[in-house]
Amino acid sequence: MSGSRVWILLLLSPLISLPIGALSDMQEDKVITWQVLLSTMSAVHAMLFLPMLSGIFAALICRNEHSDGGWKQLLALPVTRTSVYFAKYVMIMLLLAAVQLLFLGGVLGIGLYRGAEGGIPWGLLLTSLFGGWFACLPLAALQLAVSQGWSSFGAPLAVNVCFTIPNMLIANSSTYGPYYPWVQPMLAMSPFGEERFGAFNLPLESLMMVVSGSLVLFLAGGLLFFWRKAV
Amino acid sequence: MKDTVIETKNLLKEYRGRAAVKELNLNIGKGEIYGFLGPNGAGKTTTIRMLLGLIKPTSGRIEIFGQELRRNRLQILRKVGSLVESPSYYGHLSALDNLEAIRRILDVPKSRIAEVLDIVSLTGEEKRPVKGFSLGMKQRLGIAAALLGSPELLILDEPTNGLDPSGIQEIRSLIKRLPGEEGITVLVSSHLLSEIEQMAGTVGIIREGQMVYQDTIAHLQEQAAGNLSLAVSEPEAALMTAVRRGCGGELQEGRLILPRMSDARVSLLVKELVEDGHAIYRVEEHRQSLEEFFLQVVGGGAL
Repeated sequence: MSGSRVWILLLLSPLISLPIGALSDMQEDKVITWQVLLSTMSAVHAMLFLPMLSGIFAALICRNEHSDGGWKQLLALPVTRTSVYFAKYVMIMLLLAAVQLLFLGGVLGIGLYRGAEGGIPWGLLLTSLFGGWFACLPLAALQLAVSQGWSSFGAPLAVNVCFTIPNMLIANSSTYGPYYPWVQPMLAMSPFGEERFGAFNLPLESLMMVVSGSLVLFLAGGLLFFWRKAV
Repeated sequence: MKDTVIETKNLLKEYRGRAAVKELNLNIGKGEIYGFLGPNGAGKTTTIRMLLGLIKPTSGRIEIFGQELRRNRLQILRKVGSLVESPSYYGHLSALDNLEAIRRILDVPKSRIAEVLDIVSLTGEEKRPVKGFSLGMKQRLGIAAALLGSPELLILDEPTNGLDPSGIQEIRSLIKRLPGEEGITVLVSSHLLSEIEQMAGTVGIIREGQMVYQDTIAHLQEQAAGNLSLAVSEPEAALMTAVRRGCGGELQEGRLILPRMSDARVSLLVKELVEDGHAIYRVEEHRQSLEEFFLQVVGGGAL
């Protein structure tokens, strides 16, 4: 990762959420609540950026190996494929966690700047951020599986974008929403209690069950492919 | 026979029913420079990838350092340095950082980086990003990476491919130095016989995935040595004389064909034939070049 410009990607979404948070729900007589602030700021972040970034990080982390024979060199060294795969996956997890932390900074900054109502609701914020991060994990595992198999850098990203776009529609379906990896971060991040429609109506626990299940599935599947990968 | 470092038994690799490598039995002894020779697409790289565990054989066994590869991959690879086809590197990183990444995996002392850079004469270039390197420099960096872990076995796939003559020369002398200095066994592949001839002690020739020749270079040169052809007035009688003198030989199109022999023996035989009253019209030596012999072997000629 050194020498790469991945930090731009880390900053991108939190920066974009700043003006959204600063300008949202401007009513003269009322102070904004933390919950409204979080839901407006996280809308674009969780609906578009988190799924996209999961894919971009996965593609980036395989890119250097795909170009110039990196897989050959790496896998001919005394390392197990399992540890290589998990090392890559952990890197994606850390990058996504960094994005979430920066986003938290953004929400706190805007909230304090606008003097949001009441004290900082740490429980709400941290649940939302952690939930969003955790819900990215199956998607990241899926994208890593695709990226390691596909030597093209752009193709897995294009696929990822194609599946991210329908998020707005699928979020409204309580049947399919929870099972759609690209919309899971959005469902997990939106502050529960306000938006009770479509898949948002689902208790956090059952969403997390689905997320955990698909995480295991995608991670195991990707690892299985990576084991058999001909280099 | 010395200790065997690489041994394969009936190695087979099929791609969609077509065998890329079949019934391959490699046998490489410790401290040898083994030249793995064959035309492009003969299965050299496929074999090498199997030896490194990068692809799985369809069937057959691979033993390296006397251990089964499948079960002891990590232990074996710790003692193996490799360069497969084109050099592998992280282009945005410097040579130093590239080696450092590998060093962390191999867990060797930091000083080793300077040593291998010195061996491949890249000292002074190590801080530049590798994407700006020439092909020869990248190739040398690849060899440096292969040497980093002080391997006991070095596997180099076409290490001189795409290099200019001076680069080829440099790499060749580097490879020749290794077994003597560090007791390393080297497996080096090439599609050029002249390459292998100048480096290797033992040669394995592969054609269409099958090993067609495996012996020492000296033996190969002997086999390719050629013969002596004599045109004489009475070939049958001359043959008798030659056989009596223990030169062997045979008749071909009215000419006496003798195996290669020393100058002294040639002169003695000619003298005797003259004294016997033969008229000698021609004494010719046919030297089959090693290259012709090689083409005959890989071209499907029987051996």
